[in-house]
Amino acid sequence: MPVKAISNYSFESRSRAELYGDDQLVNVWWVNAPMMCAAACFRAPREMAWSDFLAAMVYPWASSDPGFEASRASSWQVDGVGFSPDPSATLASLGVRHKSLVSFKS
Amino acid sequence: MAKLSMKERYAALTRDLDWDFDYVDSKEVFPYTTFEGIKIHDWSKWEDPFRLTVDSYFKYQAEKDRRLYAVLDSFAQSQGHLSLHEARYLNAMKLFLQGVTPLEYAAHRHFAFLARFLDSGGPRFAALCQSIDELRHAQTEIHTLSNYNKYYSGFHSWPKMHDRVWYLSVPKSFFDDAISSGPFEFLTAISFSFEYLLTNLLFVPFMSGASFNGDLPTMTFGFSAQSDESRHMTLGLESIRFLLEQDPDNVPIVQGWIDKWFWRSYRVTALVAGMMDYMLPRKVMSWKEAFELYFEEQMMGSLFKDLAYYGIRPPAHVGDAIAEKEHLSHQVYWTLYSFSFAAAFTTTVPDPAELEWLSQTYPESFDKLYRPRWERAAEITEGGGRFFFQGLPQLCQVCQIPMLFTEPGDPTTICQRHSNFNGENFDFCSDGCKSIFDKEPEKYIQAWLPVHQIFQGNCGGPSVPEVLDWYGIQEGDNAEYLGSKDNLNWLSWHDDSAK
Repeated sequence: MPVKAISNYSFESRSRAELYGDDQLVNVWWVNAPMMCAAACFRAPREMAWSDFLAAMVYPWASSDPGFEASRASSWQVDGVGFSPDPSATLASLGVRHKSLVSFKS
Repeated sequence: MAKLSMKERYAALTRDLDWDFDYVDSKEVFPYTTFEGIKIHDWSKWEDPFRLTVDSYFKYQAEKDRRLYAVLDSFAQSQGHLSLHEARYLNAMKLFLQGVTPLEYAAHRHFAFLARFLDSGGPRFAALCQSIDELRHAQTEIHTLSNYNKYYSGFHSWPKMHDRVWYLSVPKSFFDDAISSGPFEFLTAISFSFEYLLTNLLFVPFMSGASFNGDLPTMTFGFSAQSDESRHMTLGLESIRFLLEQDPDNVPIVQGWIDKWFWRSYRVTALVAGMMDYMLPRKVMSWKEAFELYFEEQMMGSLFKDLAYYGIRPPAHVGDAIAEKEHLSHQVYWTLYSFSFAAAFTTTVPDPAELEWLSQTYPESFDKLYRPRWERAAEITEGGGRFFFQGLPQLCQVCQIPMLFTEPGDPTTICQRHSNFNGENFDFCSDGCKSIFDKEPEKYIQAWLPVHQIFQGNCGGPSVPEVLDWYGIQEGDNAEYLGSKDNLNWLSWHDDSAK
């Protein structure tokens, strides 16, 4: 249903993929961590290797909780679908898109 | 000339100065009152809820101002700020000044717009009075709280902060959403859904909080604003009644707006919930109690029963709001605690007496779900650290709050909702926010989401210090309360007085 407006109402998204160049936004949700009030949002290169993404972004953030152990992170999903990422594969090749939700449990 | 009776004066001053346009099409003069689809057949059916004339209005307001400014003067002269219950209380007032005062000013501007662009003299005069009220509220709040700026952190730069800081984008985007809609939607949004349905939940906690915590100026401001607020509530109800009675086709439009604006307004009050239960060292009542009294009893139990006569049902998703009353304040304040390195107020772990109060007030949820977090946070602090969320959160595209709310019926799982529009994914904190987006995606795709703006490089730079600098947040404004500038000053001031 379109917005009721006094004239033509058409604007671009303020978070569209092209605004991030070769990067994209990725949301990461540590599902069973009550200390983490929300999922985190990162800006990451589409061609970043999965292992680099974890080491540079996800693990430092999850370490906000001193009880975090990287080795126990499991049950990875992208947008609700389980996957077992190859550490050297890029985010794009793993199907992680702009504003995808990556989740894990520990 | 014979003197007019009060009733005649009132009619003369609010209606007789109005005229019809014979040389310009009235659609050119009032271009905004048709595109929303609302049908008005007889503007004269608008009942003036204010029943005031300009001269008596100014007389009352001037009298209230005189009283308030007398209190402010004596407070400043007697070092009144030292008689607060505790400096930590002022965090609630920082949130108020940064989050609410700019909304008063925005309301002033938009009611001035309505005072020009509604078709008839009655509603234009009502909008004019409210416009002046809102400006007075903004000014008196600024004057009241400016007394603290001399001694405490976080009271400076609030207009800039309101435009830039992540948690203030919640109230700002809420009001921008209302202002950018048509005049009847604005009235339903602000006068009815915000002022009538929820204003008691916003105002009473702050003003009673002030009274319980020794903040005489803010309490006096509250009294000064109270009679205006009841007029604003009356205007809200009158707007709805007028629209519903004018044409049956207006009913589904108004229902849609009530559904939308109840949820938008309710989400803004989430900040108030966190404030009430955690920022006030001396508690007034809990969020849950306030919600039950001011919303469930007064609105659900009474107002919506009356509105059923017009074919209006309670707002969509109201059940979700009621169901989360045991959890809302805990989840919100935990988030503020986690991100207070980037806020213009400080937070701290509740002290043992507060934990006990929370436990007793929220027997269903606190000990089981929320006390363990505070115990962990306290352990981390005892070990010389401070728990912070070291990253940026995923935000809701509609309410702009970090996606901290849990699934209806499952308080251990964060609620994640998504919609795809033009091939792009958008995230929401709740079914309420998702359904608002799905009805008007073209509007909400334009949201200025603070996290995304930081990542686009629009907020001063990529690092936390650069963003804080761009926000206008200075050393001492943010992070942990214990050991903060305000805390240390407070201790030294009171130490001296004991000598």
